[in-house]
Amino acid sequence: MSPREQTEPSENELRAMAYVDGELSQAEAREFEVTLAGDPALAREVAELRALQLVSRQMAPPEPMDYEWERLKADPLQRTGVGLGFSLVLLGTIGFTLWGIWAIAFESELSLPAKLFSVATITGLVLIFLTVLRGRLRTLPYDPYTHIKR
Amino acid sequence: MILLSIDNIPGKEITSVIGLVRGNTVRAGHLGKDITAVFKNFVGGEINDYTKLMAEAREQALDRLREEAKAMGADAVVGLRFSTASISPGAAEIVVYGTAVKIG
Repeated sequence: MSPREQTEPSENELRAMAYVDGELSQAEAREFEVTLAGDPALAREVAELRALQLVSRQMAPPEPMDYEWERLKADPLQRTGVGLGFSLVLLGTIGFTLWGIWAIAFESELSLPAKLFSVATITGLVLIFLTVLRGRLRTLPYDPYTHIKR
Repeated sequence: MILLSIDNIPGKEITSVIGLVRGNTVRAGHLGKDITAVFKNFVGGEINDYTKLMAEAREQALDRLREEAKAMGADAVVGLRFSTASISPGAAEIVVYGTAVKIG
């Protein structure tokens, strides 16, 4: 027997692997179980494959990804940089909005109706945003999916 | 409730097919997450906020499918499939569907 022949699984071994992995159809699985009942050697092989499947699951190396991400997030420089960046963006956005409203209302050469409509539009957008934000903040504690990481 | 992507349940017999069940959701992150994602696009790597967003959407869609299957009196759902689309930029839409069955 050549080494190649020794490594090639037989038809029954292939079916045993598919059976253990749950890849056989219901009819095929039932047919295989009948074969299995009359073939102790094959039954032993199925038991070994099941044990191997269990061991390979247990032996799977732990993924270091989550730990690494947590460590990176906890880094003071990372937290300060992101926090300061977002604070500046937020401050700038609020400042620009207020300055825009003030400039349209008091400094622009727009007619009175145009000033009113512009200020109403900006105020409306801000109002919608704040209302949506309030709603979200109120429902956030009841959202069961926020704890899911991946 | 057993959820399987294969069409049969090893070791169990499907006694009756109830029908199609599905669950879907569209979830969005917030602007802050989108801003960090933009910078992640520049430098590369996994966009964790979007990974989390997809995971949240996946679990919510699965829970909705589970609820529907339970309401229909199913013991299991087989042939489970996930599908995704893009309705809005920065939002995750997940549709999960399968066949609700009763097992013996």
